[in-house]
Amino acid sequence: MGGLSLRGLSKSYGSLDIMRDLSLEIADGEFAVFLGPSGCGKSTLLRMVAGLEAPTSGEIHLGNRRIDAIAPGERGVAMVFQNYALYPHMTVKQNMAFGLRNVGTPRDEIASKIAIAAKMLEIAHLLDRKPGQLSGGQRQRVAIGRAIVKQPEVFLFDEPLSNLDAALRSRTRIELARLHQRVQSTMIFVTHDQVEAMTMATRIVVMNHGRIEQVGAPMEIYRKPSTRFVASFIGSPSMNFLPVVQAGESDGRALVRLADGTVVATEILSASVPRSGEMTLGVRAEHVTPGSGTAARVDVVERLGERTLVYAIVDDGSTIVYDEPGDVAPAIGEHVRLSLDPANVMLFDAAGLAYHAEPRA
Amino acid sequence: MKIRTPSTATGDRLILLAVVLLAAIWIAPIVWVVGLSFKPNEVLMRTTGGLVSPPFTLKNYTDILNSSAVFGWMLNSAIVAIGQMTLTLILASLTGYGFARTNFPGKRPLFLLTLVALAVPEQAIIVPLHTMFATLDLHNTYIALITPRLAFPFGVLLMTQYFRAISPEIEEAALLDNASRLRIFIFIVLPLSVPAQATLGIYTFLHAWNDYFWPLVSATRPEMYTLTVGLASMQTNFAQTEGLGFLMAQAVFAGLPVLVLYLFFQRHIVAAVAGAPTR
Repeated sequence: MGGLSLRGLSKSYGSLDIMRDLSLEIADGEFAVFLGPSGCGKSTLLRMVAGLEAPTSGEIHLGNRRIDAIAPGERGVAMVFQNYALYPHMTVKQNMAFGLRNVGTPRDEIASKIAIAAKMLEIAHLLDRKPGQLSGGQRQRVAIGRAIVKQPEVFLFDEPLSNLDAALRSRTRIELARLHQRVQSTMIFVTHDQVEAMTMATRIVVMNHGRIEQVGAPMEIYRKPSTRFVASFIGSPSMNFLPVVQAGESDGRALVRLADGTVVATEILSASVPRSGEMTLGVRAEHVTPGSGTAARVDVVERLGERTLVYAIVDDGSTIVYDEPGDVAPAIGEHVRLSLDPANVMLFDAAGLAYHAEPRA
Repeated sequence: MKIRTPSTATGDRLILLAVVLLAAIWIAPIVWVVGLSFKPNEVLMRTTGGLVSPPFTLKNYTDILNSSAVFGWMLNSAIVAIGQMTLTLILASLTGYGFARTNFPGKRPLFLLTLVALAVPEQAIIVPLHTMFATLDLHNTYIALITPRLAFPFGVLLMTQYFRAISPEIEEAALLDNASRLRIFIFIVLPLSVPAQATLGIYTFLHAWNDYFWPLVSATRPEMYTLTVGLASMQTNFAQTEGLGFLMAQAVFAGLPVLVLYLFFQRHIVAAVAGAPTR
């Protein structure tokens, strides 16, 4: 067993750079989620770890071994593919046994490993069926089973939930988290769904344009996104972004003015914020409170059951979304006043870099 | 949901009628051939009508079976057809897999060359082929009867397209399962391509079984005749004014193995003709 170390990885196709000089350490037993939009390089990174893509430069180490130059099957990794990639002509049992047979595992050992995995995944009754006779969820379990029997050092998941319906997806998320607790192996999970990342990861690696934007625990990334991209990608609903101008400081903390002239006293150290350039204020829906403050007109009301999301339009035409309790909501077209929690607003400079509130001593 | 209206029902009936008519036109000569094969040759010298009226005879068939050479020719045809089918499947599969899944310098021009070969008619190469085999002193051998057909561009194209359609993820999963390229080919790719193999196999077998031109050129000794060449050699004269029933019986006899093959592999043959591999 051992952690995974990616050192200076680059990947190009001809003159097209997909990834440049990416480094990352994943600790032994960690559940790391690579999160990012389509084309951000997260799947390419996973495939490089698996050995299905060769890095243009850089090194991959697993424990004390350098693995980037060895064959995929010898790396000690197992992968669950987006479309499961089960062998259609083989039964479930044969699918799970194939990898073990290839390395000369004795027949009785194969049988016992399959039995243990099948019991764990509740697929024992499906062992003699072929993939074509299974539902999507069952196929997914078989694909996971095929990975488990190999007892890999690292499990790789390439968007394995994307083909499941919403209910099954949420159930499988819980099962995967449970599986991770049970097998204690390193797991790398690739997804573009921030809910999957938030719910399963011990650490999230947010990627964009072949670069790592931020690495951190789910709540750390949620509360302190390092860039505007991360702030917008994590959280549902997405963070509110409002253009602001700087309006000096008060007690060493930055003051900013919204388009309608409302001044927001933030808890961000003014010394840390650049003096000039465009600034954007970011605030999550749960940190916007109706009552006093900036004026807005209610545009759309989304009832989610336990809470209601209210989309209101402020003076400069920006939309601001805020939370109301489930059974309370203003009428569409109603004028409201919204205040922003100073301890939880953040600022982004023109380059998208974030500035966060600092607690007072 | 498809809604059936009276007009579509009438349309369907008209199409059915047209299909039945075409089938009847197509089958008429075959019925005639089968019918004539049961008529005495002497009767057929007078008239070839009156299919359903006696006299009938099995003599034409017993004459074939009494001709000791027929079974030899049939064996030759079977060896050539099975040999050609097996070797074509091996070559086309390996070549197709190479084109579909591997990268090597010159792959594209080579594939284009294969496509171009589709357009070369058999007649255009028959003389050089004959000269080549004559130089090598290989005429009247199974090698000569089998090998010229093995370079089968259509087979390569079919297998290439089929392999390309197999999800690469399945092979990647096998790579991660520690399987070598050869193991992946044998245990994953080949079993998955059975429908295409069946299509190509049947097509090649039928083509080889029915082939007349090249065996006629290459096999000049009666013991190396294939069934088609052998049966043709039994024709007594060009106009076939006598022994017409015998000739028809030969045609039926030559077609029997193909008919049996069709009964067993009907689904794949239909797919082969329709150009859509069954999965």
